Amino acid sequence: MHWTTEHLFVYTIQNICLKGRGVELLDKLTILADAAKYDVACTSCGVTRTAVKGQLGNTMNAGICHSFSADGRCITLLKVLYSNVCSYNCAYCINRRSNEVPRTTFSPRELAELVIGFYRRNYIEGLFLSSAVLKNPDYTTERMCEALQLLRQTYGFRGYIHAKAVPGTSQDLLVRLGVLADRVSLNIELPSEESLRLLAPEKSKENTLGPMAFVRDGIKANYQDKQLSTVKRTRFVPAGQSTQMIVGATPESDFQILKLSASLYRTMELRRVFFSAYIPVNTDPLLPAGVETPLLREHRLYQADWLMRFYEFNVDEIISEEDPFLDPLVDPKCNWALKHIDQFPAEINKVPYEMLLRIPGIGVRGAKRIVMARRHRSIRFEDLKRLNIALKRAKYFITCNGSYAQGVIFDPTSIYAQLAGETKQKRAKGVLDGQLQLLDS
Amino acid sequence: MDSFSSLIASEQRLFPLLDQRKQLGSQNVGEASFSSLIDDAELIYLYDGSLEGMLSAVFAAFQRHENPEDIVTSHALQESLLSSYVPVQTEEPLAARVRNGILEKLGDSAYEDVKKVFLSDAPHKGGVIFRYLHYAFTAGRWSFTHLAEPAVADFLEIRRQVESEAHHMLMFVRFAQLSNGMFYAHIEPKASVVPLITDHFAQRLNVQPFIIYDSVHNLASVFDTERWWLVSADEINAAEHSRAEDDFQSLWQTFYDTIAIEERRNPTCQRNFMPKRFWGNMCEHIPPELRKQKPTTKTPTHAARLQAAGQKLLEEPA
Ligand code: SF4
Repeated sequence: MHWTTEHLFVYTIQNICLKGRGVELLDKLTILADAAKYDVACTSCGVTRTAVKGQLGNTMNAGICHSFSADGRCITLLKVLYSNVCSYNCAYCINRRSNEVPRTTFSPRELAELVIGFYRRNYIEGLFLSSAVLKNPDYTTERMCEALQLLRQTYGFRGYIHAKAVPGTSQDLLVRLGVLADRVSLNIELPSEESLRLLAPEKSKENTLGPMAFVRDGIKANYQDKQLSTVKRTRFVPAGQSTQMIVGATPESDFQILKLSASLYRTMELRRVFFSAYIPVNTDPLLPAGVETPLLREHRLYQADWLMRFYEFNVDEIISEEDPFLDPLVDPKCNWALKHIDQFPAEINKVPYEMLLRIPGIGVRGAKRIVMARRHRSIRFEDLKRLNIALKRAKYFITCNGSYAQGVIFDPTSIYAQLAGETKQKRAKGVLDGQLQLLDS
Repeated sequence: MDSFSSLIASEQRLFPLLDQRKQLGSQNVGEASFSSLIDDAELIYLYDGSLEGMLSAVFAAFQRHENPEDIVTSHALQESLLSSYVPVQTEEPLAARVRNGILEKLGDSAYEDVKKVFLSDAPHKGGVIFRYLHYAFTAGRWSFTHLAEPAVADFLEIRRQVESEAHHMLMFVRFAQLSNGMFYAHIEPKASVVPLITDHFAQRLNVQPFIIYDSVHNLASVFDTERWWLVSADEINAAEHSRAEDDFQSLWQTFYDTIAIEERRNPTCQRNFMPKRFWGNMCEHIPPELRKQKPTTKTPTHAARLQAAGQKLLEEPA
């Protein structure tokens, strides 16, 4: 059968055409996306909002990536600054006041049209909006709220919005921002108060943690904004809070970083702590000169973070003050297992779920599958492949019905040598560990 | 609009059935009798490519107490002398009995799974479905948890592949607005997933009419902002792009290029997550020389700054 779309419908175009203003908007987008690209968070998960007839958009709890940029990072949101005109002078930031870069600011309408146009084409799940500090924190947040309000109310957009709040924003505005957005984040920026004072003198621990605690309480109490009563939203910051810090610009150890993030999860009830390996964009005597932090360090920190969030590990099991950096050659879970070799080998058919989770190479899904399958009958090595369990690392640490996998010598020193060797080989071939796929919240 | 509504009526059916059924028959039967001269030849059932046909074949196997090695469509057939081919007639009442059996004994989700596996392009999906049902009708409704059983593992593996392809489509489908207002997406998936993905878009993008056209399986879904339906189509001639479309594509391409951190370029990682086979239908992968518009200002690249600063990589932490 042969079809033409002309036969099907004749609809008038409701979209606003960008011709004429197109080129100018293109430049703004270039500047404001370029200025936002070092922000690492780009997830769109943690909240389910069903579609409503006549309105554009919904959100999925699991989030969806829509593309992957040349650096291999997932693109799920339109990640832009509202403005890069900044009155602050953070040493590590491309937009600092003293830098000579092209500066520009979106209008609320330009931004809304971009989001709607992209969303309708399935390019994005929504918007990740942050901003440089225009005049002062409140003025900036007001402008951001204006844009988000237009998007939510006038354009009826029900997709995902992540808004970054500027430290020092007043509570009224945080409430409004939190009602319009799904996720709010306040960036801790650097892993210690001293570093923050040194590199971002206009920010402080208090004006970051204060609003963070306010948002935490707001989520519990479900704050609502009376002026925005026409926004039919049921929850304040439904996808929770996250934060981000730069790793490697300042001398803090992995131990300090992980301790800090564990305490943020605990006290601030954050959904995510993001790490961003330092990339030098400025030359400043306060910064390590022209030195880039290897992605591998960021990767190991994320692995440790996952162990805390999904594998019920305690931060002290992963890292200690005496040995304050994660091993670059062997991942933190293997390291833990090698240090606790007395708890291994784990018998796949017997050990409880919690112990399955602690076996290197077995993930949450794999552990669940094992529990499911062994209820029916005992599992042999050849069955593990059917369960989609990769034996590459797991084989050193397990037995099936009492026997080891073929060729495995159960000896921690030789296991370490083997695993470290594999990492070195991979790197010699130029394969990076790359980024974890940060699909979930 | 008249011809249009009649099309809806005739193409409503998900699985092409009637026309293909007649093509089966004599030619295959003749060859089949040839190869069945070999005593222990593998038994292979042939069906017409429809879900009903496949379920009819499953019924036949149960009824005849036979254990076919595979159930394949007649046109996908690669004949082997070692096999004996038995065509099975599609009979809807028999197919319905198998379906009801699945629903009653194994539950609704088992039938959903059978349909999903059926949408796969895997040549042996028929045999896999048969072996799963054969196992599950004995082992009961918890069969799907018997992950170490080959019959179950094979079945769930194909289901996983289909679901993963459907998910790839949720990620990578790109709609373009046409001059008639319609949004149009062309896809080339590895499984016939249009029936699995259209609900998602019909909810999310309920303010716009759209067509998603799968040119590999010649199947399209059409959404008119109220409801959606499937049509089979060998070809769709899409209208011109709307004027806004080219602007939005330029904007998206610009965003896509700008958001990448040059110093962290990692094509292997990029292609692992987003295999090249999808790129042809994604406008951000149109090479720059073929694009409509280019940004006029350039922000000073960080790469240039870094070069000035004498970029080095830090040694690993001790
Ligand atoms: S406040 Fe600091 S980090 Fe934020 S844009 Fe301004 S200079 Fe950059």
